[in-house]
Amino acid sequence: MGGRLAQWCIDRRRWVFAAILLMVAVLGAMIPQIRIDTDPENMLPDDQPARVLHENIEKQFTLHDRIVVGQVNAEDPQGVFNPESLADHYRLTRAIEEIDGVIERDLLSMAAVDNVEQAAPGTIDYDWLIPGPPETQQAADRIRAAVERLPMYSGTLASEDGTAAGILVPLESKDVSHRVANEIRAAAQRIGVEDELYITGQPVAQDTFGVQMFQQMGISAPLAGLVIFLVMLYFFRSVPLVLAPMLLAMATVISTMGLLIGTGFTVHIMSSMIPIFLMPIAVVASVHVLSSFADRYRPGGDARAVMAGVMEQLYKPVLFTALTTAVGFASLMFTPIPPVQVFGGFISFGVLIALILTLTFIPAYAGSLPRKTLDKMAQRVRQDQDAEHSSRLCAALEAGGQWAGRRRNWIVGTLVALSVVAVYGINQIQINDNPTRWFKAGHPIRVADQVLNERFAGTYEAYLRLRQTGIGEMGEQLRERAGAITAEAQEAGYAELGERWQRLWREHVDGDRPLGTRLESLAVAISDRLFTLSDPDRAAYWERLLDAVEQTRTETRAFQDPEKLAWIAGLERHLVENGHIGKATSLADLVKTINRELISGDAADYRLPDTPGGVAQALLSFQSSHRPHDLWRFVTPDYTAANVWMQLPSGDNQDMQRVVEAVDAYVAENPPPEGVELDWAGATYINLVWQGEMVEGMLLALLSAFVVVLVMMIGLFRSLALGLLAMAPLTVTIAFIYGVMGLVGKNYDMPVAVLSSLSIGLSVDFAIHFIQRTRSALAETGEWRSALVQVLREPACAITRNALVIAVGFLPLLAAPLVPYITVGTFLASIMALSAVITLLALPAIIAYRPGLFFAEVRRGAGQS
Amino acid sequence: MSRISALLRSHRAPRIAGAAGLALGLLGASLPAAAQQPDVTEIVERANEAAYYAGDDGRAQARMRIVDAQGRTQTRQFTILRRDRSDGGDQDFLVAFSRPSEYRGVIFLVEKHPGGDDDRWLYLPDQDLKRRIAPGDKRTSFVGSHVFYEDVSGRHLQDDRHELVRTTEEHYVVRSVPKAGADAEFASYTTWIDRETYLPMTTEYKDESGEVYRRMESSNIQTVDGHPTPLRMRVEDESMGGYTEVQFRGQEYDLGIPADVFSDRSLRNPPRQWLSR
Repeated sequence: MGGRLAQWCIDRRRWVFAAILLMVAVLGAMIPQIRIDTDPENMLPDDQPARVLHENIEKQFTLHDRIVVGQVNAEDPQGVFNPESLADHYRLTRAIEEIDGVIERDLLSMAAVDNVEQAAPGTIDYDWLIPGPPETQQAADRIRAAVERLPMYSGTLASEDGTAAGILVPLESKDVSHRVANEIRAAAQRIGVEDELYITGQPVAQDTFGVQMFQQMGISAPLAGLVIFLVMLYFFRSVPLVLAPMLLAMATVISTMGLLIGTGFTVHIMSSMIPIFLMPIAVVASVHVLSSFADRYRPGGDARAVMAGVMEQLYKPVLFTALTTAVGFASLMFTPIPPVQVFGGFISFGVLIALILTLTFIPAYAGSLPRKTLDKMAQRVRQDQDAEHSSRLCAALEAGGQWAGRRRNWIVGTLVALSVVAVYGINQIQINDNPTRWFKAGHPIRVADQVLNERFAGTYEAYLRLRQTGIGEMGEQLRERAGAITAEAQEAGYAELGERWQRLWREHVDGDRPLGTRLESLAVAISDRLFTLSDPDRAAYWERLLDAVEQTRTETRAFQDPEKLAWIAGLERHLVENGHIGKATSLADLVKTINRELISGDAADYRLPDTPGGVAQALLSFQSSHRPHDLWRFVTPDYTAANVWMQLPSGDNQDMQRVVEAVDAYVAENPPPEGVELDWAGATYINLVWQGEMVEGMLLALLSAFVVVLVMMIGLFRSLALGLLAMAPLTVTIAFIYGVMGLVGKNYDMPVAVLSSLSIGLSVDFAIHFIQRTRSALAETGEWRSALVQVLREPACAITRNALVIAVGFLPLLAAPLVPYITVGTFLASIMALSAVITLLALPAIIAYRPGLFFAEVRRGAGQS
Repeated sequence: MSRISALLRSHRAPRIAGAAGLALGLLGASLPAAAQQPDVTEIVERANEAAYYAGDDGRAQARMRIVDAQGRTQTRQFTILRRDRSDGGDQDFLVAFSRPSEYRGVIFLVEKHPGGDDDRWLYLPDQDLKRRIAPGDKRTSFVGSHVFYEDVSGRHLQDDRHELVRTTEEHYVVRSVPKAGADAEFASYTTWIDRETYLPMTTEYKDESGEVYRRMESSNIQTVDGHPTPLRMRVEDESMGGYTEVQFRGQEYDLGIPADVFSDRSLRNPPRQWLSR
């Protein structure tokens, strides 16, 4: 089959080349439409409930993704509270407000918010905290004293030690954050800000990651290509032989990426690594074919016939190694994380393209080479096989394999020991991720993250929404109460009152605006009606209806109730005092602050008013400031939902997890007010959600890949024992590498999780080749020891070369400034290397243990003797 | 609100402005349109009079609907009383909130002193708090709406440089730029002043980049007791997002409201007799 296909392709090689060129040209033409996506929110499908809730809550409280700008002066004894620094801060704030993409109205900075204070006893004053660049130290001192009295801003806009001033820059969209961050730096330079400036925040981290990711795609993938080319050139010493796999790899990468982009998918963190994955995978199979071809070709021979023979023999292993690899990647489609699904799906596709190209393009290529080139190539390869460097490697492998056969107890013992270590290590694995840590430790974003989180309450945010339920029932109850009043009116002879009430109700209350708003509209209509009534008795009924409506309306405004605010304050205190979060800010803090300044300005009056009316009126006073809309970050205008803004000094999922658990524990001991439900939102929380989904999804992907590959192995070798044997080396390898990860404390994060299942498909290849060759040899020799000896020569050499090509191909990733790239590079290179070594040592050892278990020939041989 | 601003305006310290937009309320134009083209000073002064000055006192009920960028609404209903202490001089205002019920009894009292700082008080009944509001920046929100305190109490005409940009069929179009040192978040504003009534009909505020970000419009002009009076106004503000609509009803002039209605005794004991019709 393979042979006939090869001949067909050689005969029609022009058509083959033209078809491949056409495919590459058509798909490649779509690459320029590339859209980069670095938003971790997209790790969840856009209809995922937690994400939908998160987006709703962000909209409800006008929360935006934010850049955090920190201005730090650690030298001045006053920190940033000196006239120069504050003047710079003022000017920088103004400049940032002007940047395109910044939502000016929600920007938070000491130079953008109001101070509230008792200007004199009995006088309340709302005025800009920094009305203009301060000129004297006294003015700077006043600002410091003022901000320290404002719990909403202290620790957020000014560090408690006074060394840092912060600007929270809300963005219209996350994907402008890298540009905005650059413009902020440029503005600071223009203004001549002398203090140190740090910029961080999740959107910057993400967007900067995207920019660098894009650069990496342009650097890492070609670099990987170059390295692979050089390694192969070193092994095979023939440019024409090495050139074909490179062309094949390029065609595969271009077609796959073109298709991905052309079908409208965005290039996410994972999919940006597709070229780097495909390159070595695509190269490997064709190297097998070509080196085998060069091996058999004799100068002056018939290239067409030789290629047909090679393909006939290699057809099966090539097909199966490709299919197992494709299955490994395709298993990623079981994860509930769309970017990972896309990654897995398209690599699978790429592997299949590479397979087809290996079966068609490589024969056509070989068939089109001039005789002279073929002769030279064959000569080179044979020389090379005799050359010292190559034979040294092969001799070592042969010796190693035979040693393994003799020392099988050692080897198997070591495997068991490795597995034990692996199981222990895997239990130590910390599941944790933090997009900021996708940058290396010295990266400006990491530095900024560290500096600012040391000084401020935290640059990571999570939101806890409290929502009053049962509002609809309140409307129903009102209806019943009103029914009683209109019935009474009817008895008293005011029959039309009920009808009119019904009509008003239909006009004003039916609809989907908040009930409180609708009832307010109803109240207005009733009071208008009262205007026109002259009959005092009739008016009295309407007055009662009006009272009932107003009472219900007030009840819907749950978060004007001091008791509810007190519960929130208690939760906040608990979380902060126990160190779960850096700071929490809510309506309770705002109301207490306003109340203190309204009453006396003394700390003793930092408390909630006793009545809902007191709360409402304090807030009415706040609404007479420059930024009344700031209120809606903490409560909805209908007061049915409130928002607690939590600042965390760490974006680690584990830390977020602890906060969630702390809240759960608090709620269990201190139940929230009746009918109040709690929901989470915020980028830090969302990261936690997709992380959780990923761990589960990856486990499923890993198991399914394992099972499918195992079944394929059993099918390929038509033997359960051989199927299991084929899985052994990679199982030990992967378990061991994860175990080491657990032992050294490397977090199980997104790239690591993704790698587990796909590496199954990659590393089983060695075992396939080894076992397949052993069977062929056994068929020739009929004796397992000599068969093994034979396999440990040329085939072992080829396996090792392949492992080296792939492992080395991933090494350029280590030079990337982005941690996930480094992780992937390290991880894959070590899996490839280790599983090749284990394959070559463990398989001979295990086979030597019970050869009869694996090979029918041995059993038959034993039976005969 | 217009009401408020209207009430606040005085002849002696003529003001225009955003204010003009608001000014709608109680006061009407007291002067007939000039037969011949007036100069810009005369236009802004007469607009100021039309917008902020009618009768010796007045009363109106205002209903304010505040709509945020997401279309979510808040309402405020209040009665405004105004009394001019001397013609074109000091004025007193009393704003008594009646709705929603949690604001019932909240009172805002202003003694306006043209040429100086106004005295402002706020009374919050639930905690029985009577507080003076510090004289400071008046371009802050009035009870959470898109209307500013300055729109209520009026911007000094002399804070800005005024220029008659053009005269249309119906309007004088005046552009005003704050003088150096004047405290304002805008770069300039343009007012369309009705040539008949001298009422400022539309005012547009521009930022540094020349974009219009805030607009005040008066409409539904009715003649009440001989004074053309806008019964509706709308303020849109892109920097805050959303808009505020104010409707005026029951406006009356020259009721003979006594001076002691505007004393701070009224904070705790609202003058019910004068607040309702």
